[in-house]
Amino acid sequence: MTQDNHGKAHKFGMVIDLDKCTGCGSCMVACMSENNVPFKEDETNKKDSLTWMTVFKLTNEKKFPETDICYMPRPCMHCGGKGDHGHSPCVSVCPATATDYGYDTGIVSQIYTRCFGCRYCMGACPYHARYFNWWDPKWPDGMEEYLSPDVSPRMRGVVEKCSFCYHRYQEARDRAYYEERRDNIEEGEYQTACTQACPAGAITFGDLHNPEHQVYKLVKPDPHQCGKPRNPKAFRLLERLQTNPKVYYISEREWVRKAGDNYRKGEWGQEKQPVHDKGHK
Amino acid sequence: MDSALIPEGAKRCPFPVFATGIAVVGAVLLWGVYAMGLCWLKGLNQTNMNDYYGFAIWIWADLAVIAIGGGAFFTGLLKYVFGIDELKNIINLAVVIGFICYSSALLILAIDIGQPLRGWFIFWHANVHSMLTEVAFCLSLYFAVLTIEFIPLILENRQIDKVPFFHNLSHNMHGIMAVFAATGAFLSCFHQGSLGGVAGVLYGRPFAYREGLLVWPWTFFLFTWSAAAYGPCFTLLVAKMFEGITRKKLVKDNVIHLLAKISGWMITTYIIAKIIDTIYWAGVTAPDMGFSFMDFYSNNSFYGIWILFTEIVLCGIVPAVILTIKKYRENKKLLLVAICLGVFGVCLNRWVMVLQVMAVPVMSFDTWALYLPSWQEIATTILPVAYGIILISLAYRYLPIFPQEQELYGTK
Amino acid sequence: MKIDRRSFLGLGLGAAAGVAASPVTWKLTDDSSIWTQNWPWTPVPRDGEVSFDDTVCTLCSGNCGISIRKIDGRAVKIEGKKGYPVNDGGICLHGISGLQYLYDPSRVRFPMVKSGDNWKQASWEEAIALVATKIKELRKNGMADSLACVTGSDQGSIAGLYKRLLMAVGSQNFYTTDTMDKSWEMLIAKMHGVSAAAGFDIANSDYVLSFGTGFIEGWGSPVNNFLANSSRKERQAKFVQVEYRLSNTAAAADVWLPAKPGTETDLALGICSAMITANLYNSEFAQKAGKDFDAFAKLVNEKYAPELVSRTTGIDVSKIKNIAVEFAKAKAPLAIAGRGKGDSAGSLMEFAAVHAINCLAGNINKVGGFWTLEKQPALTWPSLEMDDAATKGYAKPPVGAMVANVSGSSGAGTSGAGISGAGIFSAVVSSVSGQTTNSVSRLFEVVNISEKSPVELLMVYNANPCFTLHNAKAVKDAVNKIPFVVSFSSYMDETSQLADVILPSHMFLEMSQDIYSGAGIAQKVTAISKSVVTPVFDTKNPGDAIIEIAKAMEGSIASSFPWKNYDACLESVTGKLWASLSEEGYVASELTPPATSVAADFSVFANFSGIPAIEGEEKSYPLTLVSVDTIRLASGVFASSPFAVKTVEDTVLLKNDTLIEINPETADKVGVCHGDYAVISTPVGEAKVRVNVFDGIMPGVVAMPEGLGHSLGAAGEVVTKDGAGMARIVGATSIITTTGGVSSKTGALENRYIGGKGINVNDLIGPVTDPVSGLDVAWGIRARISRV
Repeated sequence: MTQDNHGKAHKFGMVIDLDKCTGCGSCMVACMSENNVPFKEDETNKKDSLTWMTVFKLTNEKKFPETDICYMPRPCMHCGGKGDHGHSPCVSVCPATATDYGYDTGIVSQIYTRCFGCRYCMGACPYHARYFNWWDPKWPDGMEEYLSPDVSPRMRGVVEKCSFCYHRYQEARDRAYYEERRDNIEEGEYQTACTQACPAGAITFGDLHNPEHQVYKLVKPDPHQCGKPRNPKAFRLLERLQTNPKVYYISEREWVRKAGDNYRKGEWGQEKQPVHDKGHK
Repeated sequence: MDSALIPEGAKRCPFPVFATGIAVVGAVLLWGVYAMGLCWLKGLNQTNMNDYYGFAIWIWADLAVIAIGGGAFFTGLLKYVFGIDELKNIINLAVVIGFICYSSALLILAIDIGQPLRGWFIFWHANVHSMLTEVAFCLSLYFAVLTIEFIPLILENRQIDKVPFFHNLSHNMHGIMAVFAATGAFLSCFHQGSLGGVAGVLYGRPFAYREGLLVWPWTFFLFTWSAAAYGPCFTLLVAKMFEGITRKKLVKDNVIHLLAKISGWMITTYIIAKIIDTIYWAGVTAPDMGFSFMDFYSNNSFYGIWILFTEIVLCGIVPAVILTIKKYRENKKLLLVAICLGVFGVCLNRWVMVLQVMAVPVMSFDTWALYLPSWQEIATTILPVAYGIILISLAYRYLPIFPQEQELYGTK
Repeated sequence: MKIDRRSFLGLGLGAAAGVAASPVTWKLTDDSSIWTQNWPWTPVPRDGEVSFDDTVCTLCSGNCGISIRKIDGRAVKIEGKKGYPVNDGGICLHGISGLQYLYDPSRVRFPMVKSGDNWKQASWEEAIALVATKIKELRKNGMADSLACVTGSDQGSIAGLYKRLLMAVGSQNFYTTDTMDKSWEMLIAKMHGVSAAAGFDIANSDYVLSFGTGFIEGWGSPVNNFLANSSRKERQAKFVQVEYRLSNTAAAADVWLPAKPGTETDLALGICSAMITANLYNSEFAQKAGKDFDAFAKLVNEKYAPELVSRTTGIDVSKIKNIAVEFAKAKAPLAIAGRGKGDSAGSLMEFAAVHAINCLAGNINKVGGFWTLEKQPALTWPSLEMDDAATKGYAKPPVGAMVANVSGSSGAGTSGAGISGAGIFSAVVSSVSGQTTNSVSRLFEVVNISEKSPVELLMVYNANPCFTLHNAKAVKDAVNKIPFVVSFSSYMDETSQLADVILPSHMFLEMSQDIYSGAGIAQKVTAISKSVVTPVFDTKNPGDAIIEIAKAMEGSIASSFPWKNYDACLESVTGKLWASLSEEGYVASELTPPATSVAADFSVFANFSGIPAIEGEEKSYPLTLVSVDTIRLASGVFASSPFAVKTVEDTVLLKNDTLIEINPETADKVGVCHGDYAVISTPVGEAKVRVNVFDGIMPGVVAMPEGLGHSLGAAGEVVTKDGAGMARIVGATSIITTTGGVSSKTGALENRYIGGKGINVNDLIGPVTDPVSGLDVAWGIRARISRV
């Protein structure tokens, strides 16, 4: 295992165009269907509803008819953590190494059978990207038949979250090795379920280390700023916390970009550049 | 009826009275056990926790009992390491309280986790970067130390002491207790600290996050310090409660005042550090993350600036002043006020560092996450209290936890 | 050995130490954790070979191509089909959830016959014989015309079989639900004099002016619109949305024009006026229209000048003029109408006003414009035999006939039975008056007001009138009044609950059928779906069920259905297309504008005096309730899947309560806060709801989502049988199957994931008949909110 991901390793990431997103919810359902996410009779308490991919609805808080809304799909951000060294907020706190950082992919994993449900990672994640299985997963009679063997259903009492459809990466990698391409995976070979399903084409997925990939071209990540986007219309959620997410958002709308982070009065506009620590102290 | 078990020369209430009291508390205990059973069998859906609010009220109770149980390690440290011998008259009580607090804390953790049968993975698959791993190791080791410290006290029971083996064991254990006390103090320092670190390392939570020294955020040191400072307050409070209930003097005033004075000075230094920490956090750490100080105390129905004022001024500066000034601390009523405020203050600090952390919105479009615990959570949180009352009552009745009792009682 | 306290303690301690040190403890600790990792109640999906199977989704009229991922033959995931003309790989959330419809707990598992309040399992033979006997009796009693059928659409061979059965029996009572497509077809017939479907070349338009369409809320072909909307941003095409509420469509638009509800027609005519005044219109159309155009110009300039319209709509004069100029100057402008998802009809004159803008811009049958598309290729049906009873019955007018004011030059689009596959009716089409239209709302209204139901037997396929029609409660009353109701639903929905017999259909993944995709878009796609999964329950293709019913009736009816089964029928009626359909799966039309040049007939505006108003007095009902569509809730025949319900925001549904959306100003007036309970009353009904305060809705307007308020499922009990006889088990809504004399509970016919949640807005809104088209064009109703 190499300790830096600036070498040949992949750094899979996602770019979501918020001006294209229509809030239709296909990404959420594609994710649930791909990843055997269970459901309950009442899912209206959004704070205990398992949605690896969720869509936030933001408003500009202006009165009629100046009101505007923006839908913001939120998968797991697969944070690189401070200094982009892989000490994501959640990975660094998990006491049992049940969630880990893949230095070869940049993907934050979750091992359901190792997790013992302390939920410390959930407290650590500012994006609410982690979900706890408060209940045993239950499908109506017969409906278990549609479950996919690629992702094991989780038992009650453990934390789960978006994996960037890691099983799809494994499949693509296996195929590449089988075809003697080593891990030379084409851009189209590994796409997450939400990316594939998005009917608006708002989601782009690929390797942020590969300048040929769309994700790279869209945001132009700055390697000296832990991947901070150089495209002025692109931003990452809570950039100032230095979590260094691998999910980027693009919007032409200023209020949307502003909503992506916290600013004290007067700060927006003369954006304070977060000083990126060179890692964990 | 059970007079043969009661320490020699000590006078205890009649057994039926005692048994009735225990039965009443026992009923509460059973209620808690029932709730605990529900959490284990049906899962944590029995609580009102959710994905935004993953720490239950019992996690606060967990941190609070460890903080107030801090009297055990700190008194032990003072007596065995710094050689303040007068404290031997209160060390037994401190150890029993510590034992109760730490066993409760472990029980709470066992209820809190979603997969209790896998709890041992924290040791087996330990992640050394996690503050919680540090907590788990130190907590269980220190609990082992407390058990070792508690055993000789049990062995001093009149009947057990008659067995030569146990008598000798007890004697020998006393001899090496200093080693354990020192180890315990060291371990306790770490896990009190790592509990503070649990919140302080959360750099995704600007309300909790603190910069620090090496791998430890400032909260690490503040927690250890506050436990050492406020823990003795709780030891004193329990002693006072015993004296109130039994209407007997059990610990001599000089011991009380000595511990109160030490606590007072510890609180003074702690509260200065805490104020500096707060100012730095409010002025530098949080603004760097885009937050104004008042963001953390407004736009919700519960968490106002009052909570910070109560913690630092009312429950920090006030007891510090009372306990450090001889005239005040020797005034019985003021002393009682001070130790009560102290205990409340440290509990409030733990509340803020666990529950408010979860409640504060982080993303600009988040709202405050306030939650009300379910009855199962409340029952499970009360469970350790009932257990503590029963255990300490048994200890008081059958073990010589107040060495000065006889002397004081005799003089009366 | 004497056991004293010492030895006892010693033994105890020794034993404890021994157990602790022995491997048993460690083994048990380990085993218990391994057990938690393999809890038997947590399913472990079987692994196997991966394969893909393609078909077409028929959950809505968009009909996207889908690809079913299978493991060892077991369907595990539905994805969008890459390269399919409608959706090119994209897919909506309902399509992805298709497998949840397959295993839906409310699926009807076998034919069932109502007996009293309960259901009895029947064999297919029994059930079909029962229906055939009933129809035979009607014919014997000279009541052939009292057989009625309601389906979702009249397209395709299955709908064709129903129509054919009705004709062979002798009834004109064939009804489809009113949609915007019907309105458009009628309008095209009226204004352009051709029988054609409306096509919108949105993907190539550089200026789309939408009058309240839910362009990205499920209008037309949802996924196609999503794609067009995204490409629009790259093409820098402008999108203007006229809507009283910040819907997702309005939010995605470049310009949001919040015109007051019901004034869309005024605004459209105001824009026409501005275009004419500024001389920004296509003179070719005007010249062809001659006098009628001058009359139209006079009408809009006198009554709908921007200055006047500004007052009614609440839109600034400058904005109206600006839109007119932009629209006229755009290269390929397009005005579209059809509220929400377009699965309700719109006022013909509202559509005419919107379409007048298209005509003024002259962008008919041009790239990026409005297209008059040839209807779906006609199916080739063999000749139909009608015996005396049939001929007599067929001569009687349909129960729900509405005399419509449309006198288009071609009758096909507006003909009495709403016929499109003209072939079936070739024998009689001339006898059908071009002046009437079959209205399903009218049908149930007549049933309700008649002393004895004029409909003796109602067949319902691919429709759920007891939920989707306005004033759904009255529709239920009507269905209850009909002596014999046969449902072909796959699910225990609101209508099948009231049926006397259920002949459960396969769900779409289990059956073959011909499908006509491309609602609302410029391209027409004809596709064949096939059975991609083995039927889960004892269900049938409804085409087979109809053929079997026909055969059971013998005589001319049986001989009109000569096919061995539905698959044979499908192959035969698709004729020339069959070869390419069965090979490729679909045939798509060219993406070039129709070559036909059409003129615009403005005489439709001759006696124009506004569009039908919504029901209710402003005095007692100061607010306007509108039903709104959201893509996340299925609002048609199918109830939302568990996955879809999961995506619904808590500002739409909270626990089992519907939230109504109102402006903070409205909330202040009523005296309610966000989350409060309130009662909403309309002339049709009232309901307890909760309040969602949202800045994006116009003050005075109340929005309520479509698609909530489904009932739980089966009422009463289901009695099943096996060879050994009937097993009757008490217990409402459970199905009990008996095998070898041992009863086993197999679950209830109810879906608790959508059932019992919220209020059906159609219970609060009554139908409003458009005097011009005869269709139900209600989009709202006056309402009042009171605090609880």
